[in-house]
Amino acid sequence: MLNLIPNLLMQSSSDATLATGQATTPKTFWMPEGASTISREVDWVFNFINYINYFFFVLVVGIMLYFVWKYRQKGREVYARGPSHNTMLELGWTIAPTIIVVVIFFMGFRGFVDMKTPPSNSYQIDVTASKWNWSFKYPNGATSNDLYVPAGKPVKLVMRSEDVLHSFYIRDFRVKQDVVPGRYSSLWFQADEPTGSDKFHWLFCTEFCGKGHSDMNRHVYVLPEKDFDDWVVEQGRWLDKIPAEELYFKAGPQLYARCASCHTLDGKPSTGPSWGNYDGSGNIWQRTDSKTSTHKVDGKSITDLVGDGKAVPNAQSYIRNSILNPGEHLVDGFGNVMPTFRGQLTDKGIDALIGFMQHLDEFDAKGQWTKKPAGTAAAAPAAK
Amino acid sequence: MTTLDSRPVATPAPDNYLTFTKGILSWVLTLDHKRIGVMYLVAVLSSFFVGGVMALLVRTKLLFPGEVSWMTAEQYNKAFTLHGAIMVFLVIIPSIPAALGNFVLPIMLGAKDVAFPRLNLFSFYLWIIGAVCAVYSLLAGGFDTGWTFYTPYSTTTEAGGVIPVLVGVFILGFSSIFTGVNFIVTIHKLRPPGMTWFRMPLFLWAVYATAIIQVLATPVLGITVALLVIERAFNIGIFDPSMGGDPVLFQHFFWFYSHPAVYIMILPGMGIISEIIAVHSHRHIFGFRFIAFSSIAIAIFSFLVWGHHMFSSGQSPLMNVLFSAITFSVAIPSAVKVFNWLATLYKGSISLNTTMFYGLAFMFLFTIGGLTGIPLAVLSTDIHLHDTYYVVAHFHYVMMGSALIAMIGGLHHWWPKMTGRMFSEFWGKIGCALVFVGFNVTFFTQFMLGSQGMPRRYYAYQPEFQIYHHISTGGAYIMGLGFVITAIYLIHSLFAGKKAPANPWGGASLEWQCTSPPPHDNFSSTPRVGDCYDFSAVHWDEKQQGYVVDTEAHVAAAGKGH
Repeated sequence: MLNLIPNLLMQSSSDATLATGQATTPKTFWMPEGASTISREVDWVFNFINYINYFFFVLVVGIMLYFVWKYRQKGREVYARGPSHNTMLELGWTIAPTIIVVVIFFMGFRGFVDMKTPPSNSYQIDVTASKWNWSFKYPNGATSNDLYVPAGKPVKLVMRSEDVLHSFYIRDFRVKQDVVPGRYSSLWFQADEPTGSDKFHWLFCTEFCGKGHSDMNRHVYVLPEKDFDDWVVEQGRWLDKIPAEELYFKAGPQLYARCASCHTLDGKPSTGPSWGNYDGSGNIWQRTDSKTSTHKVDGKSITDLVGDGKAVPNAQSYIRNSILNPGEHLVDGFGNVMPTFRGQLTDKGIDALIGFMQHLDEFDAKGQWTKKPAGTAAAAPAAK
Repeated sequence: MTTLDSRPVATPAPDNYLTFTKGILSWVLTLDHKRIGVMYLVAVLSSFFVGGVMALLVRTKLLFPGEVSWMTAEQYNKAFTLHGAIMVFLVIIPSIPAALGNFVLPIMLGAKDVAFPRLNLFSFYLWIIGAVCAVYSLLAGGFDTGWTFYTPYSTTTEAGGVIPVLVGVFILGFSSIFTGVNFIVTIHKLRPPGMTWFRMPLFLWAVYATAIIQVLATPVLGITVALLVIERAFNIGIFDPSMGGDPVLFQHFFWFYSHPAVYIMILPGMGIISEIIAVHSHRHIFGFRFIAFSSIAIAIFSFLVWGHHMFSSGQSPLMNVLFSAITFSVAIPSAVKVFNWLATLYKGSISLNTTMFYGLAFMFLFTIGGLTGIPLAVLSTDIHLHDTYYVVAHFHYVMMGSALIAMIGGLHHWWPKMTGRMFSEFWGKIGCALVFVGFNVTFFTQFMLGSQGMPRRYYAYQPEFQIYHHISTGGAYIMGLGFVITAIYLIHSLFAGKKAPANPWGGASLEWQCTSPPPHDNFSSTPRVGDCYDFSAVHWDEKQQGYVVDTEAHVAAAGKGH
């Protein structure tokens, strides 16, 4: 009996010894799939608490129901004589739960220390959260919107937010950390079993951040270390390798994916104005470039702002500026909520997005290239 | 001195508090704690209805994993925020102390009224003004911040109703503080001779502990929301990092109030359960002093654990460890109370009536609510469960399944006293059973939803969670039906219910010794106080169809005991 507590602690911590090569644990009644080196320990503690809880629940409710049945009222004259106190009994049921919770506290404490101590050889990925996007930046400068991590290697995330609180949560890894504007927060994990590229773990935002909160989820792919190295090198170069004339349809859709949570292509306004035709003056390129545009910006017609000899010489400059300094000019009816993409998009990336806008009629409402030549009615973005 | 039991208890005296004066002004300007309590009750139950409709809207949306045409994400965010804010600030916090407490506290104590009747009425009108602010905030564009108002979202959201509702919360805080001050002074100064601290019913101990929290913690909430208003209205950087503020500071401020506020909600409920279990088991409460002191212990410890809401917020790991450790200190007195109530059932004579159903439902639900708090207090498991539906399920078991169920139990317990009418036991049990079953179906499901990783405050979700949401929403409809039935038979009893005797359940505390409904002044002479959990002098009286307390024997027995 005296060894019970140390044994429990030993067992929990030996489960957690950060052994490599652990396979994922399958989804159970309570817990989702467990895919990180700490998930086993967390699940072990959770299940241990659950068994204690089952015991006390059955004890309390069982005794309650038994007493209610045994001592149910019979007749009206009812005065019942039971003991009004018993100090030893009461001290007993005060001290016993105290001992149990002390044990449980230490189990949780040990797991927490593991969670908060990233190994020194961790692979670092920078995370930027904004309404309602996750952006991941790898050491070689590559970026992605879904998270890719190497298998069998500790990964440390350094996270910041550009606007409000967000929270980074990968349930299968049992890790969660708020992402707070004005400071850096971090977490680490190690996933040993690759997912392949068709399966993934969910990343959820768990701190309420407004309208797009529940869409702020992404995929987490665990790749074998060698595949990951190849991927991250490719990813760092992907824009460079695309010839300029193919940029808009090869890079455009992928870059647009980061804009899609606020800018639709089907004409329906969302958090930001649609890039499709929503106010009768054409899609984003047409209404910005046209000399007869009726599009309103800052309460005035956009033609007062953009054009030869105006404040902004051409549509390209206007769009570039809207990406880098989004608050400077606001389309009527929309607030100043867009974060800047300065430092996140290269010039080539901005070129690709402008090209994407110029050829919007070649893309469907989800931003996929339909490869149809401009001008045919079928290829026009479906304005629902 | 004329003894109380010589008064005609079966036929209500013509001058009961409801008929004492007439006209609308005699209600809106009343200083009678009983009428103020009834007005609070009507106001709180109306708010409960609105908050409940919001809950059903939210649950109905969640039948569908994706977008629905009749509710956008913004509307959904406003609906769950409104549900939370109404239920916390307008319903649960004032429900037991301000509504039921106002009515029964002076009578249980043996006083004619609270210490400051005018302050009492003033705090009711502050509540009304706070509620009006909340309604105005809806007209001003609503608010979508969640009831927790986390910055910087709350200072930057475009919803127009944030400042009005914060002003409302500020005013409601003062309403709560004044009620607390009033109760503390009443309990200290207006106890009649013989009403020693250890003869005071446990409900009063609980309300007293609650009042201490109300007076000490609520000012922090006031300051916090005032700072938030200043930041939002005048762009002065307090919490917003882009202006040099600290968003985590807001969370510390907010939870420094809002964790103790959890005990403002649950402590009075525990008090009611102590009354219900003892009276309807017709036997002395087990371990009076342990229960009484556990209330005080909870009140004190509740101030030291706020950081357990912030394990993943970015506060230092050392603070996480300390807050986790201290949190368990609150668990112990709660467990002690449950064991004491269990022991009170032992060798009792348990009436299985509607009120006792609610008492037993409380014990069942509070046990689950308390035990599921453990994985949330443990550091490593909380990281996984924080901000998921597991938390939602846990606090609904405590705040609704426990605090609100206790309130409804108390409402049934004192309904004959308040209205002079008996409600239908048959429909009472049906209503209670539906609420109990519906509640468990709704919220137990959410434990699985949460531990499987579904985050809270999500408009859309992955299809794998849909089955849980379907079950949960079905439970909510069952619960809604239960509450509708409860409302119907209670209102029906006002008009067609059997006349209530002074003491329908066999209680021995003082409120059962005045008529139902009580007279304007509660007692015509200073009541004589015995042990309120000594039922040896309580007898069934066939003529009155109720119980009577033999005061001489009752007081004499208490004298012997001390």
